[in-house]
Amino acid sequence: MGHSGVTAYAQVNATTRALYATLLTPEVWRALIQTPDFDALLVQLEKTAYGPYLKLDRQMLTPRRTVYQLRRYLAQGYEKLIRLTPEPGCQLLMQLWQLYEVDNLKATLRGVETNASWDEVRRLLSPMPRHITLTNDDIQRMLASGSIVRAIERTRHTPYYETLTLAVARYETEKNLFPLEVALDLDYRRGLWQGIHNLKGADYEQALRLVGTSIDVDNLLWAVRYRVYHRLSVQEIINYTLAFGYQVRDADIRAIAEGEDIITVIKRIYPRLEALEDIPAQTREEVSPQRRQLALIERALHRYIIKLCRGAFLGDPFHIGVQLAYLMLLEYELRDLTVIVEAKASRLPVERLASMLAVEWW
Amino acid sequence: MFKPQAMDKIELIIPEHEVVRTTEALAASGIFHHTPATQTTLGATPRGGDVWQTWTTDLVAIERRILLVMEELKIDEGAPPTAPLHIIEPRVAERDIERLEHEAETPIRELEAARRRLTQLQKYIGQLTPIADLDVDLGTLRDLRYTFVMLGSMPAANIERLESSLEHIPFVLVTLRHEEHLATVMLFGLQQDAAVLNRAARSAYLNPLVMPEDYRGTPAQAIAALQAGIERTQEHIVEYEREIAHLHEMRIRHLRQLLWRVRASHALAHTIAGYDHLQHTYLVTGWVPAAAHTRLEQEIAKVSDAVVIETLEPRQEDIGHIPASLKNPPVFSGFQGLVTTYGQPNYDELDPTPIMALTFPLIFGLMFGDVGHGLLLLLAGLLLAGRKTKAMQSAAGFGVVVALCGASAMFFGALYGSIFGFEDVLRAVWFRPLEEITEVLLFAIVVGAVLISAGILYNIVNAALGRRWGYLLFNRNGLAGLVFYWALLGIGAGAFGAPIPIPGSVFAVLAIISGIGLTFAEFFERLVEHHRPLFEEDVGTYVALAFFELFETLISLFSNTLSYVRMGAFAVAHGALSLVVFIIAEVIGARGSVGYWIVVILGNLFVIGFEGMIVGIQTLRLEYYELFSKFFTGGGTPYQPLSLIPKVGKLNASENTGG
Repeated sequence: MGHSGVTAYAQVNATTRALYATLLTPEVWRALIQTPDFDALLVQLEKTAYGPYLKLDRQMLTPRRTVYQLRRYLAQGYEKLIRLTPEPGCQLLMQLWQLYEVDNLKATLRGVETNASWDEVRRLLSPMPRHITLTNDDIQRMLASGSIVRAIERTRHTPYYETLTLAVARYETEKNLFPLEVALDLDYRRGLWQGIHNLKGADYEQALRLVGTSIDVDNLLWAVRYRVYHRLSVQEIINYTLAFGYQVRDADIRAIAEGEDIITVIKRIYPRLEALEDIPAQTREEVSPQRRQLALIERALHRYIIKLCRGAFLGDPFHIGVQLAYLMLLEYELRDLTVIVEAKASRLPVERLASMLAVEWW
Repeated sequence: MFKPQAMDKIELIIPEHEVVRTTEALAASGIFHHTPATQTTLGATPRGGDVWQTWTTDLVAIERRILLVMEELKIDEGAPPTAPLHIIEPRVAERDIERLEHEAETPIRELEAARRRLTQLQKYIGQLTPIADLDVDLGTLRDLRYTFVMLGSMPAANIERLESSLEHIPFVLVTLRHEEHLATVMLFGLQQDAAVLNRAARSAYLNPLVMPEDYRGTPAQAIAALQAGIERTQEHIVEYEREIAHLHEMRIRHLRQLLWRVRASHALAHTIAGYDHLQHTYLVTGWVPAAAHTRLEQEIAKVSDAVVIETLEPRQEDIGHIPASLKNPPVFSGFQGLVTTYGQPNYDELDPTPIMALTFPLIFGLMFGDVGHGLLLLLAGLLLAGRKTKAMQSAAGFGVVVALCGASAMFFGALYGSIFGFEDVLRAVWFRPLEEITEVLLFAIVVGAVLISAGILYNIVNAALGRRWGYLLFNRNGLAGLVFYWALLGIGAGAFGAPIPIPGSVFAVLAIISGIGLTFAEFFERLVEHHRPLFEEDVGTYVALAFFELFETLISLFSNTLSYVRMGAFAVAHGALSLVVFIIAEVIGARGSVGYWIVVILGNLFVIGFEGMIVGIQTLRLEYYELFSKFFTGGGTPYQPLSLIPKVGKLNASENTGG
């Protein structure tokens, strides 16, 4: 890494490391999981970095609103790091941030289809104060349009319009949002992949390792879900997945599509992946326990990504990997916090809750 | 003009059934500044009446619907109305907008559908054109016994993936046409694989060409029929557009009026929701200029005789929150804007606008003295202030600032004998800065000393208005500070041989006495204002710190005064920059040649634009940091009379605030 990398990343790395230090510690995770109810959970959360975002009237902090407030912390993290990260790494962070906009767009389309009001839909959106193409105003206009076709017309100024227009014919014949959502997902990952390839040197290597692995995992899980849940044909699975990847090859996706044992394929890709051996033998049989098997695979893969992210903080720090790793870790943290919030709100026993978390943080 | 208007605090006790009319009257009066109270004299707390909260929420949604219809009918919001608006209930507004939505819906939907149809037909032609020479009925292709054929369009990015997915199946995929993102393709395979091929094609977003009955036959026949269809659709589009234009004309006034009524109603509901509410009574607290107090009572009496208005004595917690209504002549609005950019004057302090209106052009002119440049600025300022064009209306106040700066620059230009940088055309009434650098720098220091003294005097008046006598007498920006400063100036002037009729010993005595006052300012202030204890820390520490305070005051007065030297420096720089322009002009061409004059004109424009901007910034800096810091604290509450007409844009669009 040359001098320019050191100077360019010095400030943002110091900031990222400071933020990294605010990720929840194992002690805090244990305390959060052990809280007796939702109110106690809020008290615990107020002591963490999320505290300032939870300073609202207690009546307003419903589980959904709590998750929204927690996600504002992520939004602030992105905003800060996008501002501090030099080009072209900054562009990749923006693309990563765009994932939440894609999710908001999907939630909006679902809202349009079910004729939901803005009040109902806004509860499901990720807070995105900056670096967006789809504003709240656009979303409200989409909801007011009354039909998916007209709603898509109102995304004309966004990068999603082209993709949605190419897929809308399928929606019109099938009256199902699935083709629109798949098209958005595929297009988003294609853009992200391209974004990785716009980088050079250590930035490229780190982004490929972290974001590339994340794309791989998404691709693998899509293939598995299409086979297990949707029972799609080989051709459909291939067409609904990506042709590229960091470690996942087209042959791997094809193997899953053609019915090869999922664990065997995954072990072939990640021979040193931990926890796959722990999956009970009966769940490896392809009938009813498939959902459980899928959940375990998902967990194992996510743990693998988390391990990669933590590794990015070791060694040469002057590359985009540090920022990517922090933001990806924060996303995982928030996913599991969401599980805890919902579990505490529905008074789920601690033992069941622990098994639902993606990662054993403690 | 120098002090904000005197304000009276009033409380209105409004019966529930009179609240709307009274609020409308309060807003129409244009003089009532509402204070959303947290606790009133009667102990009521803000309740934010549920009904009014519901009104505000409903009206935001209705406003959005109105704006959507207006957007679809291509109607803009228009300017905010000047006449008072009638309030409209949400349910009435909703009925109205429902009717308008219904009226606009059919032609708008039809137009959108026709446009989509047009695009579709054009797409069909695009798909068929590559196979236009094929003399086969398209229907026949679909019903072949052994061969599967699918003609359609798909995202170009998916072609490779589709081919890959069909690896184990015999097929041929021919790309007939390739646009940026879209490709027209023909997929061939075996009829026995039709199910697999169909699923594969669909998952690759290959949309088969399924044309309506009217457009069947050979590709050439279909294209001809499609072209006729396109013409028909275009005619329909024209018809719908005409219908929408008609609706635009018919409903433009209605929709705009409805929009502004909804906004006014929202403002009304929002205001009432902030009132204190007892069982059947609203309590409203606010401020009104004392001079207009009676008028407000009369306005309220006209709409209701059941409203009780009481004048309250301002309480301790009101101090610092009394709205400051600045009463400057309209010509000062630009300067007032510059003042409020720095800070909002407090109710009990002098408004710095008049001193700024006097000193800003003076300082600017001193630094930018040139008759020609000043004249251009004066003309530009008058053009802005004249509100000749709509775009310039908001800059009218700023135009006056520019015009006065221009006039001042002309005045100093005449003193310096400079016109468009030419130093040999006019006779200098006073001196030329480039030739008398020492004089101009000394003059700048004298002006600086006068301005600093004026700032301290302003602060003394402010202290007297606030009855802070200890502060007035002993603060570094009070009487002691002023005497100390003047004594130092006297000693300095005497040391440089200036003819001053007062002996130096008098200045020395004054400096010592005022210096003692400044050194122990905190102690004396506490003593005079009866604050105890007299020392916050132990006496030894206090005395040590006090001497440092005096030293700091001395340094600060010295640096403040020297800061004004820049005025002289810029006056010199202005002449020097102009000189550079002429040197370059003479390098480019002989004096009087075209090249010479081009450089002189461009150079002058550069000097006006570039140096004018720098001098403007420096003037602002001297005002804010050297002058205002002496007496102006800011942080006051601006006087904002209640209004039901929103000044800007949409009502608060609700955020996606989660659950």
